[in-house]
Amino acid sequence: MIDPVIAQSGDDVLLEVKDLKKYFPVRGGFIKKGVGTVKAVDGLNLFVKKGETLGLVGESGCGKTTAGRTIMRLMEPTGGTIRFNDPKQGWVNLEKMNRQQMRAIRPNMQIIFQDPFSSLDPRMTVFRIVSEPLVINKVASGQELNDRVAELLRVVGLRPEYMSRYPHAFSGGQRQRIGIARALALNPKLIVCDEPVSALDVSIQAQVINLLEDLQHDFKLTYLFVAHDLSVVEHISNRVAVMYVGRLVELAKTDDLYYTPQHPYTEALMAAVPKPDPHMRDRPIKLPGEVASAIKPPSGCYFHPRCRYAKDICSTEDPPLKMVRPEHWSACHFAGELNLRGIVPTN
Amino acid sequence: MSETIGSPTTTTTTSAEIILRIKDLHTYFYTDIGISKALNGVTFDIPSRKVLGIVGESGCGKSVTALSCMRLLPRSAKIPKGEITFFRHKKNGNGSAAPVEEVDLLKLDTMSQEIRNIRGAELAMIFQEPMSSLNPSYTIGDQIGEAIILHQNVDKAEAENRTIKILDQVGMSNPKAMVKRFPHELSGGMRQRAMIAMGLSCNPSVLFADEPTTALDVTTEAQILDLMRDLQAQLGMTIVFITHNLGVVAQMCDSVAVMYLGRIVEQASIEPIFYNPKHPYTKALLNSIPHAGSREHKRLLPIRGVVPDPYSSIKGCPFHPRCNSFMPGKCDVNVPATVTVDNGHTVRCFLYSDEVEQQ
Ligand SMILES: Nc1ncnc2c1ncn2[C@@H]1O[C@H](COP(=O)(O)OP(=O)(O)OP(=O)(O)O)[C@@H](O)[C@H]1O
Ligand SMILES: Nc1ncnc2c1ncn2[C@@H]1O[C@H](COP(=O)(O)OP(=O)(O)OP(=O)(O)O)[C@@H](O)[C@H]1O
Ligand SMILES: [Mg+2]
Ligand SMILES: [Mg+2]
Repeated sequence: MIDPVIAQSGDDVLLEVKDLKKYFPVRGGFIKKGVGTVKAVDGLNLFVKKGETLGLVGESGCGKTTAGRTIMRLMEPTGGTIRFNDPKQGWVNLEKMNRQQMRAIRPNMQIIFQDPFSSLDPRMTVFRIVSEPLVINKVASGQELNDRVAELLRVVGLRPEYMSRYPHAFSGGQRQRIGIARALALNPKLIVCDEPVSALDVSIQAQVINLLEDLQHDFKLTYLFVAHDLSVVEHISNRVAVMYVGRLVELAKTDDLYYTPQHPYTEALMAAVPKPDPHMRDRPIKLPGEVASAIKPPSGCYFHPRCRYAKDICSTEDPPLKMVRPEHWSACHFAGELNLRGIVPTN
Repeated sequence: MSETIGSPTTTTTTSAEIILRIKDLHTYFYTDIGISKALNGVTFDIPSRKVLGIVGESGCGKSVTALSCMRLLPRSAKIPKGEITFFRHKKNGNGSAAPVEEVDLLKLDTMSQEIRNIRGAELAMIFQEPMSSLNPSYTIGDQIGEAIILHQNVDKAEAENRTIKILDQVGMSNPKAMVKRFPHELSGGMRQRAMIAMGLSCNPSVLFADEPTTALDVTTEAQILDLMRDLQAQLGMTIVFITHNLGVVAQMCDSVAVMYLGRIVEQASIEPIFYNPKHPYTKALLNSIPHAGSREHKRLLPIRGVVPDPYSSIKGCPFHPRCNSFMPGKCDVNVPATVTVDNGHTVRCFLYSDEVEQQ
């Protein structure tokens, strides 16, 4: 079956994820009876175009981090395919690669982590942190290595003199810049940004977002940008993918998704965004209840117990992802038929 | 309603519409590496039965302000200077105006019976990290029940009944089962509801809510904000809502105090803060955030530099090294005094007055 979300491995596409699954075994907790399974990612489909930023949003625990890491093969997928358009090798299936083959691909795919405080090794100097990928991949050594690290620090707005310092001597925003410098070291094509600004103050957040935008422009980077702040995601993304309990429920160009959503869950997300405008307090739509469990998801459409538009079919049949409008996909039985509200425009 | 009860030792403008008055509050931490001056003269009034937001970047002293009022600072902290007056409204059930008694909170011993009576029953707090303030080895019911037994002089069965009622009030489904659950058995949103229930359990006059939704998803956050607004209106509580999220402030608050490096730099009601901010710091904060629902892509305007560390001291206005309106020879020499620019709108900045803070 050809999934509609998947582009046909075109030249303008960098990454294609098809039916990606990542299950974790769980023990204990409330499931007293033996071992259960968390379906953290359960049939995810998406593609990322060269040079774009694809935002990935959804509630806590919906599988964003797991998806990002599995795509990078930092975790073994349980199923599905991950195709990457490598600049040298062309299209390759990452899920089939062994360690050694991955080593040749890895420089093209990097990750920036959420927590700038725990993601850097406190015993390593900034020089070692940033130079490590260059050393491991034998890209540079000696004075050349030094120059390259200095250059990377300058690129992210840090002074090269800071090289000999340790992470604890830096603020959150500065640490995030160190992480970005390291991610850039090998001239990657794709960077998975996992909540890169969530732990930062608004003012520092703005610095890091601007930096990511500048770097994308200067180095033709492609971002998979995971975040739960919908204002930040709207600002930085060309397209946005919405996940709910391990699955993709909607994917579209940013404006289309924000102003004319085609899935009731996206509609509820948009209504919940706290707008920095005291005249815009009315929230027309309220989402009741809690996110469904990834251990024991509901039948049919996972969102149906919370959905204001749910009909009988929603509790029995799992809605497939379908293209509702050009380049706009939704996994809802009634996609295209419902008149859903988007985000209220800011004056 | 304009009843004023002034004691000779406090100001004469005391009004029944103010519930807490904080004056020139200094809170310092004495640590191995020096003195951290967390609060450097915080002065503001907390209006009664309203929601006041406190905003500012990490480390500016939001939590320490609340903890100082609650008298819950760690041992390493001292308050060398300042006043916190609690205008205690005698409760008379129907919420009508009642006599007001002034309590000088800083005069009370932190271990005294009096502060313990006030804490929980009249001043309550929801802490920044729910997991660290809920005891993992007691059920939700026991933890909330304990506070009720302590303050309301009821037996265990009655405390449990009241707990169930409060859990129901904060929107927990199946509260009867919830009282038997342990904190780790709840989702983040439910834990946050349990925290709010605990804060509300004794029907306090003032609730300090320290980042009560920061760890939550937008949809859960929206549920909790709606809940807090409803309860506030219903119970006539005063809420001090601490957050760094300006969106949440706009949704929740009646007025806002903006903090920078241990001082209030601007205070006003909600609309002037968003539509007519005065302090360059407030303006900078508002400019630095992306606004959802604005189609055009505007580059964000970050505040340059970072918050200086509290161990150092800056001459002049503490914001001047990062300020776009910095006036050399002025801002780097003296600390601006707090002046009133409009009815109820105060600001500390030399753009509006040359008045210098008296040391
Ligand atoms: N190593 C693991 N073992 C077991 N379960 C896991 C593991 N990692 C993640 N999970 C579970 O998988 C689900 C998805 O988690 P994930 O961290 O990917 O979510 P997320 O969308 O990134 O959430 P957040 O917004 O909170 O970061 C959750 O239910 C989580 O508890
Ligand atoms: N126990 C402590 N020992 C030493 N310094 C402390 C202590 N608690 C707080 N401080 C310092 O006091 C200052 C104010 O801290 P506070 O926790 O009030 O900040 P905040 O505004 O609540 O920040 P955040 O948004 O990160 O919660 C900070 O510089 C902090 O480092
Ligand atoms: Mg995550
Ligand atoms: Mg705090």
